[in-house]
Amino acid sequence: MAVGLNHYLILAAFIFSLGILCMTIKRNAIGILIGVELVLNAANINLIAFSKFTDGGVAPAGQLAAVFVILIAAAEAAIAIAIFMNFYNSFQTVDVDRGDELRG
Amino acid sequence: MEYHNTLAIAVLIPLVSFTILALFGHRIGKPFAGYVATAAIGLSCVLATQVLVGWVSADDEVRRQLIDNAYESRVTWADFGVDAIQVHVKLDSLTVLMFFMVTFVSFWIHFFSLGYMEGHSDEVDGTSKYHRFFAYLSLFCFSMLGLVVSSSLLFLFIFWELVGLCSYLLIGFYFDKKFASNAAMKAFIVNRVGDVGFLLGVMLVFLHLGTFDLDQAAARFATQFHNGTGLFASDFTLFGYGLATLMGIGLFCGAMGKSAQFPLHVWLPDAMAGPTPVSALIHAATMVAAGVSLVARIFRLLTPEAQMFIAVIGCITLTITALIAIVQTDIKKVLAYSTLSQLGYMIFGMGVGAWVAALFHLMTHAFFKALLFLGSGQVIEGCHHEQDIRKMGGLRRKMPVTCWTFFIGVLAIAGFGIPTLHFGLGGYFSKDEILAVAYERAFNWPPTIEGESDAGHAASNAPSPSTESADATMAASQVRLISHPETPVARGAILADATGASTTEHEEHAGPTGTEQKLRIAAAMPVLPAWMYWLPIIIAYVTPFYMMRCWWLTFCGKPRDEHVYEHAHENWKMWLPLVVLAGGTIFCSFFVFRNLIHDAAGVLADATAVVAIDGEAASIAEAGDGAMMTLSHGPGRSPHDALTWQVGFAWVIGMFIAWLIYKDGLALAERIKRACGPVPRWLEQKLYFDHIYDNVFVVGTVSIVAPIANAIDKFIVDGAANATAFVTRVSAFFTGRQLDMPVRKGDIGLVDWIVNAIAKLTMLLGSWIRRPQSGRIRTYIALTAGTAAVALLCVLFSDVIVAVCEQIKAGFNQLLAGDSVVAAQSATRLGD
Repeated sequence: MAVGLNHYLILAAFIFSLGILCMTIKRNAIGILIGVELVLNAANINLIAFSKFTDGGVAPAGQLAAVFVILIAAAEAAIAIAIFMNFYNSFQTVDVDRGDELRG
Repeated sequence: MEYHNTLAIAVLIPLVSFTILALFGHRIGKPFAGYVATAAIGLSCVLATQVLVGWVSADDEVRRQLIDNAYESRVTWADFGVDAIQVHVKLDSLTVLMFFMVTFVSFWIHFFSLGYMEGHSDEVDGTSKYHRFFAYLSLFCFSMLGLVVSSSLLFLFIFWELVGLCSYLLIGFYFDKKFASNAAMKAFIVNRVGDVGFLLGVMLVFLHLGTFDLDQAAARFATQFHNGTGLFASDFTLFGYGLATLMGIGLFCGAMGKSAQFPLHVWLPDAMAGPTPVSALIHAATMVAAGVSLVARIFRLLTPEAQMFIAVIGCITLTITALIAIVQTDIKKVLAYSTLSQLGYMIFGMGVGAWVAALFHLMTHAFFKALLFLGSGQVIEGCHHEQDIRKMGGLRRKMPVTCWTFFIGVLAIAGFGIPTLHFGLGGYFSKDEILAVAYERAFNWPPTIEGESDAGHAASNAPSPSTESADATMAASQVRLISHPETPVARGAILADATGASTTEHEEHAGPTGTEQKLRIAAAMPVLPAWMYWLPIIIAYVTPFYMMRCWWLTFCGKPRDEHVYEHAHENWKMWLPLVVLAGGTIFCSFFVFRNLIHDAAGVLADATAVVAIDGEAASIAEAGDGAMMTLSHGPGRSPHDALTWQVGFAWVIGMFIAWLIYKDGLALAERIKRACGPVPRWLEQKLYFDHIYDNVFVVGTVSIVAPIANAIDKFIVDGAANATAFVTRVSAFFTGRQLDMPVRKGDIGLVDWIVNAIAKLTMLLGSWIRRPQSGRIRTYIALTAGTAAVALLCVLFSDVIVAVCEQIKAGFNQLLAGDSVVAAQSATRLGD
C-alpha cells in the first residue's frame, strides 16, 4: 500500500495529540517543553506533507516553512528554558503546578 | 567490502557508543563505560587501518575504481525540488590518511583516559560524571570522523559545529569550577565568530557555484574563473577584495576559529581547563587540525589574494604565540602555545602553497603533540595536579618512561634532523619543506621555464609573439624553474597569457592543463614579502628553545619542590600510550605518510587560481602529474641549499641555549628576565589580547548599549508613564470635579449606585472568571486546546449547525406565523 497524504496527516494528528496530552499532564517544565516541540513538529510534518503532495512536490514552500518553524522553535525553546531557569531559582523546583502565584 | 562502506561504519561506531553511554552510561558505571568507548574507537581504528593498508597497496586504477564506487553510492540527503543535496563518503588519500590518524591517536588517548580518570574525582553533586566523559569523547570522535569523510560543504559545516559543541562540553567538563565553564564559553563564542565567516563562505559557494559538493564547486569555480562569469563578474568589493576572494576568506574564517589563528587564537590556551586527555585529543591532534584540513579541502576555491591573506594570518600567529610560549610556566600552557605556533606554520604553509608540506606537518604534529600532551597529563596526574613547571624538576628519576618519550616529542617539534644526510624526525622534514616553499615564493618567484643550462638562449630563439615580455619577465626574476626539459614550448605565449589576459575564450573546464597552466597561474600569484620568510625562520629557533626549557625544567635538574617530587609516580595505563605514540612519532618521519598526501594532491590538477608547490619533487612529472609546481633547482638557488645553513641546525642551537640558561635552575633566567625590561611582562600578559577583547567587546558593548538602554528607559518608557500620569491627572481634575461635587443628593446616589452596580457586576463576573484562572499552566493548556477543539468541531460541522439553526428558525417562524394567524382570527372575531 502506497503511503498517501492521509497517512502523513494521521501521523501528524497523532503526534499533535500526544504533544497536547504531554503538555496537559506533565508537571515537569521540561516535559511541557517537549510537548510543545511535539506539537510544532506535528505541524512541520503537515507542512512538508502538503508540500510533497502539491504541484508534484517541486515547490519548496512547505519545506521552507518547516525550516522556519524549526528556527522559531529553537528561539522559543531558548526563551522557555531561560524562564524555567528563573522559575527554578525562585521556587527550587521545575514543577509548574507550584508556580501558581498568578491565580485569580 | 568497499572502502566507503567500511569508513561509513567506522564513523558510526563511535556514535553507537555515544548513544549507549548517553542512555545507559550511569548503569554501566566505572570503569566499564570507559571500556565501551575505548572498544568502539579501537574498532574504528582497526577498520581505518584495514582501509589504509588496502589503499596503500592499491594501484591508481583500483583507487580510481574505489573512488568512483564511493561516488556512485551517494545518497540524496534533502531534495528541494530544484536542487538536491547529495552526500557520499569522500574517498581519497587525504581522507584515508586523516581517518587513520584521527582514529589511531584517539584510540590511544581513550586508553590513556582510562588511566587518567581512574584517579580523578569525577563527581558533581554526588553523581558520577565518568560515563559522561567517555560519552563526550565518543561523540567527539564521531563528529571528527564525519568531518573527515564529508564530501559536501554543508555536511562539513554540520560536523564542524558538532565538533565545536563537543569541544565546549569537554572543556567545560569540570563545569562546577568557574574557570572551566568560562573557558568553555569562551571557546564556544570565539569559535562562533569564525563560524559566521564560514557560514557566509558556504552561502556564497551555494549562491554562486550552486552546489555544496567540493569537487563540483571546484569545477564550477574553474569555469567561472576562465569565463570571468559568476563570482568573477561581480563588481562587489569589501576592503578591496573581490567576491571570489571574500568567499575564500570567509571559508578560511572557519579555519581561523577552529585552528585558533590570530586574532581568534585566544580560546585555545584557556581550553586547557579541560581534562588533559581532552587537551591532547581536541587541542592538539584532531579538532585544531580540522581547520588546516578544511583549508586543504577548499584550496581549489582560493584566489591569490585569499591565499596571501591566509599566509599573513598564519605568519602572525606562529610568531606571536611562539614568543608568548617562552614565558609560560604552566606545562599545559606551554604546549598550548606551541600548538598554536605549529598550527600557524601549517596555515602559513597552506598560504604559501605548500599543500603537501602543511598536511605532512599536520600528520607529524598530531603524533608528537598528542605524545607531549599525554606526557604532561602523566606528569600532572603523577604530581597531584601540579602544573607549574617551576615547582617540578628532577622528575626524570621518578618517571623515566614519560621523561624519554616526552624528549622524543621535544626533538620532533624542535625539528631534529641532520641536514644533508636526509635523516631526522617528521617535524624536521615537514617544517623544512614549508620553509623551502616559502623561500621559493619569496626569492624565486615568479617561476619561469628552465631547459637545462643554456635555456636562456633557447628562449630568445623560440618563435614567440611577445618575446619582449618574456625576456622582461626573465630579466626581472632572473630565476628559472625546472620543468620537462623536452618541452621548451611556446613559453612566450604562456608568459603573455600569464600577465593576466588569460581568462577568455575558455569553455567549460577550459585551459591547458599541466605545466603550462601551472606556470601561468603561478605568474599571477604575488611574491611573498621577505619578512614573511624570515619570521618563520626565526621562530624555528624559538621553538626548540621553549620546548627544551619545558622539558628541562620538568624532568631534569634538581627537584625544586620536595612535596611534588615525593608524590611523583607513573601508571602503565598512562605510559603505554606514550610509548606507542613515541613510536608513531618516529615512524611518521618515514615517507609513507608524505607519499600518501602527495597522491592526494592529484586533485589540485584542476586548481585554477592558485598553485600548490611540492617542496621535495625534482620534476613536475614527479610532483603529482602536473598537479603542483616544483622548487627551483638551479645552482645556488635551491631553497634546500639555503635552508640547510639557515635553519638546519636550529634545533641544536635553540635547545643548547635553553640548556645553558636553565641548567642550574631558574636563577639565571630570572636575571635575564629582569634585564629585558617590560617585554617579559607583555608576554606573560599574552600581549594583552584578552585585555583588548575584554575592553573592546565586553566593556565596549556595555558602554555603548548601556546609555542607549538608559535613554530608552528614561525618555521612552518613563516618558510614556509620565505622559499617562499627566493625562490621568488632567482628566481626574474634571471628572473628580463633576462627580465629587455634592450638588444634589440624588445625583450622588445615582453615581454611587452605578458604581456599586458595576462593582457588584464585576465581582460576579470576576468570581466566575477567576475559576479557570488557577495560575496553573496545565489548566490553561487544557482550556486552550479544548477551546480550539470546540472551535474546530464547529468549523468542521458548520453545515450541521447551520442546518440545525435553520430548523429552529423555521420552527420559530412557524410558531410566530401561527400566533399571527391566531391573532388575526381573534381580531376578525372581535371585529364581528
